[in-house]
Amino acid sequence: MTGTEGCDRYMSSKFEPKIHVFFCVNALDRGVFSTQDPEKAARIQSVKMPCSSMIKDIFMLKAFECGADGVMVVGCPAGRCKRVDGNIRAAKRVAWVQKLLDEIGLGGKRLVYTASSDTDAAITLLLKGLAELGPNPVKPAAQASPR
Amino acid sequence: MIVAKQKPIAEIKEMLRPYQKVLILGCGTCVKTCFAGGEDEAATLGAALRLAFGQESKSIETEELTVERQCEDAFIQEAAQAVARNEAVLSLACGAGVQAMARRFAKSVLLPGVNTTFIGVLEKPGLFTEECSGCGDCDLDTFGGICPVTRCSKRLMNGPCGGSKNGKCEVSPDIDCAWQLIIDRLTALGLQGNLKRYIPAKDWRPSLAGGPRRLLREDHVI
Repeated sequence: MTGTEGCDRYMSSKFEPKIHVFFCVNALDRGVFSTQDPEKAARIQSVKMPCSSMIKDIFMLKAFECGADGVMVVGCPAGRCKRVDGNIRAAKRVAWVQKLLDEIGLGGKRLVYTASSDTDAAITLLLKGLAELGPNPVKPAAQASPR
Repeated sequence: MIVAKQKPIAEIKEMLRPYQKVLILGCGTCVKTCFAGGEDEAATLGAALRLAFGQESKSIETEELTVERQCEDAFIQEAAQAVARNEAVLSLACGAGVQAMARRFAKSVLLPGVNTTFIGVLEKPGLFTEECSGCGDCDLDTFGGICPVTRCSKRLMNGPCGGSKNGKCEVSPDIDCAWQLIIDRLTALGLQGNLKRYIPAKDWRPSLAGGPRRLLREDHVI
């Protein structure tokens, strides 16, 4: 399971969303979020983290500032976080930022949290949300950098 | 500590609408602890505002900086250059910090980014509760360390009202009855005698009712 199998149906549509994925290195097989499809790979930017709880509000917002249409945070399945409750913290933080995205009019559906065991369903959910919302309406600032 | 809550984005946006370059100035003490205005919150708010205005095709440049305390002149001087570079300052400090900034930078526009709410404690991670009203005449010795002025919804000084149920206030089941807490604690300490004391009507002059207060320590003034 590399976490990109669910992309095919939605990413073949006219709107090809750019997705940023923040993932826990312990959550995915071989610690890699990858795809064999070069076109798909060009649209997914992944960031490895030692634990999903290292995600911060600013990282998620910065991804949108850099032009991402959607953002996904991948943590360990319930009860399997090496840092005990890192995945719970990450999920709560994502929920907070979803509300913030709704508040600023960008749409909370552009952001999802998922356990690594449900990555496929989460990508499907994210892409459905993006199909509703359309592309990120904010043009990336020239100085915005994902790094 | 002083507890504050960040204002809604919509309200902040309207305050900032006339400006192109804004300094978002965090405060590294109380408002950082309650997640309203530290480094992380300043950065997050900056990004949120850029995204919010970006949808309207209005460009806004934000600079984020956090000083240790905005209520002390020695610390806010560190922000002088950043203040000068921007058209307005959105301060994430409490009301005291905003006013200290306004006093120091008389020619700069100072805007509040948070609503200052209460003096409280961190009851558990993520939960802050009001404990003190700053009444200027502390009687916590009488009440076993539990303040009826702040924690009793009716500010009763002479015992419970009769409206509490199972130790909860009739105003809200989420609020502990302060007088139940006081009685339980005084009982546990063997200080039930305190409950026989008559507390006269409170003199509110030492509080804000007597006008803005000052504290002067002559031994520290040169």
